Amino acid sequence: MPYFKDADEVYRFIGRLFQDLSDDEELGPKFRKADTTVQYQYRNPESQITVKMREGEEGQVDLGETDMEPEVVMTMEADTAHRFWLGKVNVTVALARGQMKAKGPVAKILKLVPLVKPVFPRYRQMLEEAGRQDLQEA
Amino acid sequence: MEAAPQFGARQLSGFKDFCQFAHGTRVIAGRDLLSSAGFEFAKEGAHRVFVVTDQVIRATGLVDKVEAGLMDGGLEVVGIFDEVPQDSSTEVCDRCAEQARAAGADAFLAVGGGSVIDTTKVADSVFTHGGSARESEGFYLMPRADDGMGAPLPIAPLAAIPTTAGTGSEVSMGAVVKDHENKVKLEIADFPLFPRLAILDPESTATLPAAIAAATGMDALTHAVEGYVSLDANPYQDGRSLVALRMIRDNLERAVEDTSDEEARGNMLIAASLAITIGLGSTHSMSHPCGARFGVPHGVANAINLPHVIRFNAGGGADIADRYRDLNEVLGLESGGSDSAVGDRLATHVEGMIERMGLPTRLSQVGVPEEGIPALADGAMGDGLTLLNPREPTEEDYVELFRRAL
Ligand SMILES: [Fe+2]
Repeated sequence: MPYFKDADEVYRFIGRLFQDLSDDEELGPKFRKADTTVQYQYRNPESQITVKMREGEEGQVDLGETDMEPEVVMTMEADTAHRFWLGKVNVTVALARGQMKAKGPVAKILKLVPLVKPVFPRYRQMLEEAGRQDLQEA
Repeated sequence: MEAAPQFGARQLSGFKDFCQFAHGTRVIAGRDLLSSAGFEFAKEGAHRVFVVTDQVIRATGLVDKVEAGLMDGGLEVVGIFDEVPQDSSTEVCDRCAEQARAAGADAFLAVGGGSVIDTTKVADSVFTHGGSARESEGFYLMPRADDGMGAPLPIAPLAAIPTTAGTGSEVSMGAVVKDHENKVKLEIADFPLFPRLAILDPESTATLPAAIAAATGMDALTHAVEGYVSLDANPYQDGRSLVALRMIRDNLERAVEDTSDEEARGNMLIAASLAITIGLGSTHSMSHPCGARFGVPHGVANAINLPHVIRFNAGGGADIADRYRDLNEVLGLESGGSDSAVGDRLATHVEGMIERMGLPTRLSQVGVPEEGIPALADGAMGDGLTLLNPREPTEEDYVELFRRAL
């Protein structure tokens, strides 16, 4: 059974994490150095998050429908995304196995990978605050 | 079960959570194989062959020989595309695909170095599946059966005759071409891009100038060294890396000193095809932006950057240094002593090879200005192979490494 029961749950946790990061005074500008727009397309449940990280511009995170034109599209099970934010997915392995598929200039995304490591505890904390111990045991 | 740490993980020894090894290319190696190119390629389903090459190679007469070999095997040569530049681009791939289509081709044969072979792979993909080269970018994204979850759909039969001993593209599933409009290198990797056939015949490298033989040979050596210490290392590749290194040890300088040494050239072709892997590390991360921004030839950039990365990595822990000990053993270097001593000996050995072969030893000698370092470090940080380097580099580490290489 998937961890998240519907798209709203995906947005409540993973979506909110992206929004928090985008607003973060320290991490936000680092992410925007990637200078790209990434769309995460999730399956089970079907959901979509589009994140704008453009140098010198405000960040923007759209949950679901969007007008933004993504440069990179990452496709995966919502479960894989969840486990990624828990720090349990090796991106290069996930790409090699096709558990994550990346369309577009993948390097721009891979560059972000070292930056997200400090974010993992934040995701865990968010789940804890929401009383979702069940999700922490992925 | 606790999964492997997500980044900066030490995975050089023990039993790994995951490894994957694929080799989808039939290789034939030996003498006098060009005349039987058609006989061999017919076995892969080719009938109407579109040959892809560049003007330099065409001028050597090699393509004529290959063409005769194809026809001798009953194949038809429906076109020859010789417009692949040194640093090929998406636009060239699209044009190549279009001409192949217009010529009524059903198979592709690449005769050339890395740029020619990569162009052919991407062109074949566009030829088979439509779309454009730029749209093909991505990892494991080529069309698949069963809603994209099943078997990858094959592309038209593709064969490669490498004319340099270095890139290994003739037996790999990766391709890199420039996207001039966006000034980036486009990377494409998927199983169907394995050529079905690679023909390794020293006759194909007979006219290769010593300087290019040296630079491309150092690319192969870098693949062997980096592949062996990469986080992506696995026992399947280890065997290849070590044998490749031994063959490079015995043949590279011989082939450069005496370009008529057919045996050394033939062995270098095999070594290069053994050494190639997509699991590399920081040397390649550094060399890619050197090429993209300052036009430094790939092999030259690797030769210059490799010793610095070896020293950096060897200081990153005993398990990394132990891997270098294995390499030192193959090269006949002292493999004992402290971690940093092991790295330093290997690095010094590599520097000695570069000097003996007359290659540039510093980036400043090949057009890289000091002001270029921040952008190069940024590019190296953003290269996917950084994730596979055994010691996790920061952007500051890259600045320092580029400074040493300058
Ligand atoms: Fe290389």
